Parts: sequence; C-alpha cells; structure tokens
Amino acid sequence: MQFWNFLAIRLLQAIFVVFIVVSIVFFVSRTVGSPETFLLPFDATNADIEALRENLGLNDPQIVQYGNFLWDVLQLDFGNSYRGGGTSTIGAIGDRAVNTFKLGVAALIVSLAGSIPLGIIAALRRGKPIDWFARLLAVIGQATPSFWLGLMMIFFFAVQLGWFPTGGAEGFKSLILPAVSLGLLEMAAIMRLTRSGMIEVMDTDFIRTARAKGLNERVVIFRHAVRHALLPVVTILGIGLGRLIAGSVIIEVVFAWPGVGRLIIDSIIQNDFPMVQTAIIVLAASISLANVLVDVSYRVIDPRIRSGAL
Amino acid sequence: MAQHAQAAPVEMKETPGRIRWRRWLGLSIPAAIALVLLVAGIFADILATHDPDFINLLARLEPPVFDGGTWTHPLGTDELGRDIYSRLLHGARVSLIVVAIVVPGAALIGSLIGMVSGWVGGFTGQVLMRIVDVQLALPSILFAVLMASVFGPSLRNVIIILLVWTWSAYARLVRADVLSLRERDFVTASRATGATGWWIMRKHLLPNVANTIVIIMTLEVAIVILAEAALSFLGVGVPPGTASWGRMITEGREVMIIAWWPIWLPGLALLIISLTGNIMGDWLRDELDPRLRNVR
Repeated sequence: MQFWNFLAIRLLQAIFVVFIVVSIVFFVSRTVGSPETFLLPFDATNADIEALRENLGLNDPQIVQYGNFLWDVLQLDFGNSYRGGGTSTIGAIGDRAVNTFKLGVAALIVSLAGSIPLGIIAALRRGKPIDWFARLLAVIGQATPSFWLGLMMIFFFAVQLGWFPTGGAEGFKSLILPAVSLGLLEMAAIMRLTRSGMIEVMDTDFIRTARAKGLNERVVIFRHAVRHALLPVVTILGIGLGRLIAGSVIIEVVFAWPGVGRLIIDSIIQNDFPMVQTAIIVLAASISLANVLVDVSYRVIDPRIRSGAL
Repeated sequence: MAQHAQAAPVEMKETPGRIRWRRWLGLSIPAAIALVLLVAGIFADILATHDPDFINLLARLEPPVFDGGTWTHPLGTDELGRDIYSRLLHGARVSLIVVAIVVPGAALIGSLIGMVSGWVGGFTGQVLMRIVDVQLALPSILFAVLMASVFGPSLRNVIIILLVWTWSAYARLVRADVLSLRERDFVTASRATGATGWWIMRKHLLPNVANTIVIIMTLEVAIVILAEAALSFLGVGVPPGTASWGRMITEGREVMIIAWWPIWLPGLALLIISLTGNIMGDWLRDELDPRLRNVR
C-alpha cells in the first residue's frame, strides 16, 4: 500500500512539473509577437492579417489563450507546424523521438558498460596504475566539452580513418560516435561513484564475514560487494538520464542526428514556434517520467527503503 | 553505509607536514592557469596583437608559429584571416564576464532559496523544492533554446539563461545542510533565547553552509564556461561575430579538415580551463568538506 501511495505522489509531482513547463513554454513563446509576419506573404492585406489572427485565436485575451492551450495539451493536441504544409507537430516529433530514444539508450549503455567495470577494478586495485588511469580518465571525461569531443571524433574516426560515417542515422555504425560522445560525461560520473561505493563496501563487516566464511573472492566481490556498491548509482541515473536527454540536443547537432534536439534547433531557425513548444514539452515530460521510473526502481531494489527503514 | 567508512591509514614515511606541502604544490599549477586566464581576460586589449574581429582575407588560415607560421600571427589565423591569439584573449574575456556575474548571482539566489525552504519547511519549502524539480525536468539547454528563439542571441540572455541553469545546485545542497542544522542544539538554544528566523539564518546557518557554497561555486566555474561555449556553439549564445570560444569552435568546424588550429586551439583552451576548475573544486572540497564527494 505504501508503495502505491508513493507511486501516486511521485506521478502527481511529475504531472505538476510538466504543467509548470507547459505554462513557462506558453508565456515565453507568447511574448514573441505575432506569427503573421512570417506566415503571410509580404503583400498581405490588413483583412488577411485580421482573419489569420482570428483564426489562430490571437485576438482572445491571454488568459483565454492559455486556457485553450492547456485544454489542447490535455487532449494531446499540440497544434500544427507553421512549416511543411501545417502537419501536426506531435506527429512530426514521433519519428524524431524514436531516434533520440535510440541515441539516449545507446549512450546509457556505453556509459554503464564503460564505467562500472572500470570503477570496480579501480577500487579493488586502489592506488595502482589502473586506479590512477581510471581517475585521470574521469577527470578528463568530466572536463571535456561534449561537442568538441564529438567534432574531434568525427575528425579522427570518420574523416581520417574512415571507420564511421561523419553524421546522419544510417544503421548501427552511425550510432557509435554520437553515443560515445554523449555517454562520456555520465561515464566519468558513474565511474567515480562506483569506485567510491566499492571502496566503502569492501571495508564493511559483512564483507569481512563473507570472507571469513571462506567464500571465494569472486563471490565476495560480485555477489556481495558490487550489488551493494551499485545502489547509489541507481539514484544518480535519474539525474543522468536528464543530462543525457539535454546533452543529446548538442550531440544531435554535431552529428546531424535526426532526433528531437536537432528538430528544435532547426525549428528555431525557421521560426516554427508550435514545433519548438511541442518538442520541448515532449522532452521535459520524458525526463519527468524517467525520474519517476528511477525513483520507483530504487525503492524496488533497496529493501530498506521498501520497508520504510530509511 | 557511512558509519563503516574508515580513514585510510597514513603511511609512516609521510609526515602530515609533507602531505600538506604536497597538496599545496598540487594546487599551484591549476592556480597559475586560473591566474593566466584572469590576466588574459582583464588585459585582453593590451595583450592582443590584433583587433579580434579584423578580417583579412589575404591572411586566411595561416598556421601557428610552431607549425610553420610567422610571429605576425603567433597562433595562426582563422578562415577569415582573424588573429586566433587575439580572439582567444577576447574569448577569455567573454567567459570571465559570464562567470563573474553568473556564479555569484546563482550562488546568492540558490543559497537563499535553499536556506529559506530548509528553514521554513512545510508548504513553502515544498513549493520551493518543486521549483527545483521543474528546473531539473526542463533541461536548461531547452530553456536556453526557447529564450534564444524568442529574444535572439545576446550576452545578456546568455547570462540570464545560465543563472536559471545553475541556481538549483546551490538550493538543493544548502537545503539539505539546513535541514540537518536546524535540529542541532545551538539552533534550538538560539531560538529559546528569542532569536528571529532571519537572525538564525544569518548568524548560525550561513556560516555553517558557507563551505558548501564556496565549493559549489568553484566547481560551477567550469560548468558555466562550458555551458556558455555550448550555447554559443549552437548559435543561441553570444551573437555571431563575437569572439567567444564556443563560436570559434563552430567556425573552426567548417575548415576542420584542412586546418587543425582554428578548432583545436579554442577547444584545448576550454578543456584546460574546465580541467583547472574541476581540479580546484575537488581540492577545495577535499580540504573543506569531504562529505560532498559524490554530489556530482
């Protein structure tokens, strides 16, 4: 029961957050002025302009427009694009969202696969060369601007060596460079957390007990220590997912990856505000949802929280 | 978990004095780099050899002096013949201006919100913390893009965006500190003697969270510099034409295949500065408050 209460509260909070985001997006984009200047030809008459404003509901008071906007969003009607013959924005975003999702998942896999083994080894060989290497990698990884890293990887691996395409989304190969550039920052953060978690756990009584029972060192590490050390990693995954989605905007531009982030930047250049609004709302909603999922999984994984002991 | 953590045994040969000396030595290199950045930004006008925006198509893509160039352009020129050395200096100035306003500004706003929400608690505290959640769910880069699309790129907008981008880190950590501090005896004692909330916040809570704030500020310097560069790279930061490291990287991208220096030099500058900021922040954290090790 406690669990369902928790889930309900978290979902309500997420909905509230999305509501605020929708409101911010509405009020910021309404200050932009009138879209008729770029929706109509230069020689449009005043009557034309008036008709369009009436049609788009721009003559209503702000509060009425806001109400209508919220009502439409509730029905998942995000309006039509100013470009491309006025197709619905949410439809155009659907395809792009799949690409952004692919990129995000790939980056998450890269960062987890790179960071956790390295963090564990570094902690077990504390003070040894591999530990120094891992920490150096973390410091550099955390400091490198992802867009610059992406460009450098294009230069070396795509242009010089020709191993990967320079951009676009043509098959698995084109996913590797963007996923690595996007995942590196998270990799550094997770590596540090895994390492410090492992160092802490290896010092505890239950590990000493496990060893005293005569357990194989491998069993001690993988069955007892790692499980424990990875708990905090789950907590920062929530923030990490948010950062991955936000970072994907930049990486998609660098690698010409046809995702939501690039759509936003392109739409800004084309003054396509409904598209920008919808895309931002979609991304913010997915980040909120990801955070709820992480919180829930944390409760499922950690029995102490489940029973309310923490 | 935490109560099991034990201090690492100190090796016998290392006297405490020697360890401290080594730690200070470790700080000297990043501190020197930070000083160079400060001087470069402040005295950009005097140190620059050329007008950073002067276009000279006759001197396009001249290599740096250590790669076959001449001393006229010590770090070479970009695709429009602008002097990269001078542009780097003026780019440092842009970064410094942004840092000088955003870091203290965000620290002030974030700490105030964090402290009030931790101290007052209840409904007000909840509302303030939900605002932090909104900030986390609306990635700052999206907000930045939205702002830029509406108001157009400008230095002022970059500063506003980065303030919104960074204040929540202070709010979260200061709130966490205040939540535990308010239960301590010295706060109760102060309350019992009739101190007002404002007085307690200023005289008792602020000195106790000052370390946290200073550490985050140091770590945020690098974040703010990288964020400004990323915004400018996307074309939603400082206006086109301004000498900023992010814009230099965008422009260098066009000629990346035929000339390495227009993209490598600003990129390396960014990397070095952000490394410096991170190392100094980590150092300060280890000195002042090792608890914060996992916050980022």
